[in-house]
Amino acid sequence: MGFQTNRTTIYIAAAIVLIVIIAAAVYIATRQAPETVETETGTAAETTPATKTEAEAVELKPLTGNVREDIVNIARFLSANGVTEAKYRVHGSGDPNSIMRVYGIVEAAARLNKILEDEGVNFKIVIEDIKFSANADEPAKVFQQSFPLKQEADIIAVSYRWISTFAKEGYLLDITDYANAYMGTELEDYYDSLWSSVTYKGRIYALPQDTEARPLYILKPVMECLGYDAWDIAKKIDSGEYTWKDVMRIAKEAVDNGCSEWGVIHRKGSAHPDLVQFYYAFGGEFTGSNPDKLYLNLEALYKWLAVEYALARNGLTPENMLEWDWAKQIHPTIVSAKTAFDIGGTWYWTEWQTKKYYTDPQTGEQRGLTPEEVKERFAYSLFPAGEPGKKPVTLSQPFVWMISANAGKLNPKYDDLKEAYHRIAFLLILKANDPDLVAIHSIVSAHIPIREKAAQLMDDQQFVNKLAQGNLDMFISDEARQAFVDIAKKTAHPINIEFLKSVTYMLEYTHIPPLHPSYQPLAEFFKDAVDFVLKGQMTPEEATNYVVQKIQADPELAETIEIVGSIPTGWEISP
Amino acid sequence: MRLDRLFTLAFFLGPALLIVITFFFLPLLLTVYTSFTNMRNWNVDAYLFDIVGLYNYKVLIHFAKYDPMFRNALITTVVFVAVTLVVNVLGGLTLAILTFFLEERISIHYRLLWLLPRMTPVAVYSLLWYYFFHSDAIGTLNRILLLAGVIEKPINWGSYMLPLGTWSILIFVNGLVGVSFGMIVFYSAIRSIPWEYFAAARVDGASNLTIVRRIIVPMIRWHLLFVTVWQMLSLLTTYTHIFLLYEWGVVDRTWGQTWSLLVFNLAFLPVGELRQGLAAAAATVLVVIGAILGLITLRILGFQRMITKPRGDI
Amino acid sequence: MGENPLEEVVGGSISRRLKIVIALALLLAGSPIILTYGLLILSSFSTNMVTDPLLTDFQPTLDNWIMFLRGQITYATGGLERNVIEMTLVTLTVAVGVALTATLVSLLAAYSISRMEFRGRGVFTAGLIMLHAFPGVALIIGVYMIFRIIGDILGVLGEEFYAIAYIILARAALEVPMAIWLFKGFFDKIPWELEWSALVDGASRVRVWWSILVPLVKPGIAAVLIFTFLAGWEEFIYFYVFLKPFGIDSLPTFIEEIVAAAENYQLTIIAAAGTFYLLPTIVFFILTQKLLLEAYSGGLKG
Repeated sequence: MGFQTNRTTIYIAAAIVLIVIIAAAVYIATRQAPETVETETGTAAETTPATKTEAEAVELKPLTGNVREDIVNIARFLSANGVTEAKYRVHGSGDPNSIMRVYGIVEAAARLNKILEDEGVNFKIVIEDIKFSANADEPAKVFQQSFPLKQEADIIAVSYRWISTFAKEGYLLDITDYANAYMGTELEDYYDSLWSSVTYKGRIYALPQDTEARPLYILKPVMECLGYDAWDIAKKIDSGEYTWKDVMRIAKEAVDNGCSEWGVIHRKGSAHPDLVQFYYAFGGEFTGSNPDKLYLNLEALYKWLAVEYALARNGLTPENMLEWDWAKQIHPTIVSAKTAFDIGGTWYWTEWQTKKYYTDPQTGEQRGLTPEEVKERFAYSLFPAGEPGKKPVTLSQPFVWMISANAGKLNPKYDDLKEAYHRIAFLLILKANDPDLVAIHSIVSAHIPIREKAAQLMDDQQFVNKLAQGNLDMFISDEARQAFVDIAKKTAHPINIEFLKSVTYMLEYTHIPPLHPSYQPLAEFFKDAVDFVLKGQMTPEEATNYVVQKIQADPELAETIEIVGSIPTGWEISP
Repeated sequence: MRLDRLFTLAFFLGPALLIVITFFFLPLLLTVYTSFTNMRNWNVDAYLFDIVGLYNYKVLIHFAKYDPMFRNALITTVVFVAVTLVVNVLGGLTLAILTFFLEERISIHYRLLWLLPRMTPVAVYSLLWYYFFHSDAIGTLNRILLLAGVIEKPINWGSYMLPLGTWSILIFVNGLVGVSFGMIVFYSAIRSIPWEYFAAARVDGASNLTIVRRIIVPMIRWHLLFVTVWQMLSLLTTYTHIFLLYEWGVVDRTWGQTWSLLVFNLAFLPVGELRQGLAAAAATVLVVIGAILGLITLRILGFQRMITKPRGDI
Repeated sequence: MGENPLEEVVGGSISRRLKIVIALALLLAGSPIILTYGLLILSSFSTNMVTDPLLTDFQPTLDNWIMFLRGQITYATGGLERNVIEMTLVTLTVAVGVALTATLVSLLAAYSISRMEFRGRGVFTAGLIMLHAFPGVALIIGVYMIFRIIGDILGVLGEEFYAIAYIILARAALEVPMAIWLFKGFFDKIPWELEWSALVDGASRVRVWWSILVPLVKPGIAAVLIFTFLAGWEEFIYFYVFLKPFGIDSLPTFIEEIVAAAENYQLTIIAAAGTFYLLPTIVFFILTQKLLLEAYSGGLKG
């Protein structure tokens, strides 16, 4: 019997398999219905008449905007329903100092529990299973795949840019009504520009957690070598007097005169988000009249790529910039002043202190810079305007607190008491953004605070001194306090805090890339295009057309991305 | 008697059938089914019955027509699979035979050495070759050649004599992992050839080469067939070892993508929207191509001759 | 094993010079591996990745190992600690589980394919290898749905134990086709006469399989155990999809996570993690070296 055997066997096998698949499909389809019936009868049997009357006595009132009142009401309501404990899981991520993205919730729970204790309510919020990932996208990716398996964390702290996809799929809790209740109180001093980052199709799906700016770092030693004042250049960039043409000119002078090896260094790997600033600096926008669409301005894209092309052709930026190694090339080149400019982020400031990028010329030892050395070395400005008449920019992508649509699902009688569990989750993220916690997070991780009260605390000398001494008595939770003692001692340096305060003004110039599912694929095409022009494989024009082709090759992108403007003729940039 | 036979057969074949059908065959069919739905973001509840017909396949065709990278990816795939396959099978065979002629106590170390790439987690493995082929003086290969005075300034290997440099890196990195598979399989097979055959050949005064040609290769035919087909299918569908090299720019962006990397880049790796329906369609197309190629290879290499009636059936 | 006829027949008749030439040639061919892995191990003891063969960029430190073993993933001050022992045990459990399941199941199946006639035998054998044409990463879509269906039926969705058991079985299933094919090749070479007399004497098929055939395919068992163990040990996507949500790390997912965050984290810790990852397998090889030698040299003797 060879292998093109007996047809009947194959047919029978195929039929069996088909039946199994159909059965499985029908099973999945019908599974929802009986389950709900089951829980209904189940809870009815569980709830004893006695607790029922109590439950009626304590009802869930609308949120008032006062945390104390609201949490007491919710807790009384739940405990009247026989529930005295609510469990939540939290998953955060990011650079190692950003652990407020999990401990914020731990501390928030402790603070809420303290209120309940003071009010004599027998109820407790428990945060179990806290997870923190190095890879910033991981909580979101894990959330995405585990939501349908009902294994997702209740609260996650991730970049705002996942909101569009998750909200579309119904994975996120719509907190618009809760937030509105607090707009006049707790949420009052949040910076206005941030609300757009958590609003998708008119509804609020998250609270901002932190934000950042992306300054242009100007190497003082290089400018001194050229006889320029770095801060003067920074001022001229901020005022819009100097544009990219001037930056390129100075960079070229630095390289030509041997003051530095490179002119402009920037990130590797992705064009998003640092390099996208070029697009904004040349007046590009991603939004337009139709809120469902993403807009791509070809003129701004072309000019961006033309700058990168010119940088590489003039030897100011390495052709293989996108291949450079972070720890062996990019950061060591910057901290040892082998470049005139660097397109970086606010968090670089402390990263240069905590990581061993600098080779001490005297001892040959690899070490981090001291805060004083960083201050001596770097001036900074906004991201320069693309050309005269345009404005300097910066770009933020806030981290946000998101709540699962099934938040609190681990708790008893979930289907009946959902609303109460959801509200607790909301109060948790609200309290995690208490001004002192936001201020501490900003200081230890070099991010920019999301609310004014936190920024004011950073001005408070007493508060800062306490942090620097490792005195963290503002924490109620021992676990959270322990986690921060060392970090606070090492990072709460006056120079670093001064730096953060001095870049907060940049938020006025900030752009937040849109919440649109098509933005990420587009950012990937940008990366390809930047790589091609840096290497000289394509001219700026060809690379712009490449992006257009890539968009048109994918029907879903072609439908959602509206291309506006055209490649300008006769526009050139050179140092 | 008949029932008895059935029980025996069930005992031997049952577990394998159960496990392969449940965890391999059914998922496979479900994946094919998924390719006809609008499945995305793992949202099984919302999209399981959201049937979109051939939509995903149409997207793929559209993509093949208009994506500027597609033609290059196709050429890269053909070259990559063909050359790496030859490297894997011949390299594995050579290593197996050479280590076979050495004493076991020595040869086991070589086999261990060649197994290292296979034991290494993909992320670490990619990291190794990222630094080895790096385009600046920090790259190990560049550094060696600079020290030896062969070159004067670092060479960007990924862009070197495009697309040859990029292809060489891809083939080298994947070949190194694949070779160990053939090596172990062939080595085990050679070791299980009855020693009397070799003794008889020696008595007849056969040279080493004759032993290889007349005894070893014919005796391990089945394993050669298996490794060839298996590795070919593996190569058609792998992208993991390539992914980071591509992502970190060691290989050229225009020539460093194989077809499977291209489609998975499209459907699986993006941040945000994950299009499982589209990925499933791409996988289904790959599987059809793979299966056809596999069947052709099986035929050419004489699968039917080898699957002749078992002598011992009673 | 003492004397080994195969070794004598083959090895004994080759000149010493040829052996040395072969050994040197093999060493030369393997030199890139030795070099890169040597640099990896050195990097794990350095403040920065070592890529220069002259080691000019080597700055000795033990920090990477201390950090990694304590489950800290950065030189910087913060971060949460990870349980390295737990993730090693999880990875090991799955790898051993996959190896044992796949080997046993295919050892059984290959016998029936090699020795018994049944309908669809050819199709089954060819079909097995064709399954491999399906890219594993795409298969995960179906595996994901089956996970949910079985979990719902058994009511164990959300249990860690279920996730681990599922990973072992599902991952083993991917290795079964390969193992069956390999074992068939080995069984086919065994002369039929060996079991004939036993069967005529009235021994059952099962008995013949276990006491006569299995001992004869030891080299095959060694090879299959190696491959299936390695497949489980370096598995990534199943760990990622089914265990990550529980917050359970495995070595491969942990390493991938840090490499993906290379911008913020220290790659030298990955060098330590990678070296550590290789250790158990190397130890496994050295410990089983005798067993493997025995298996290989067992060969075919009546």
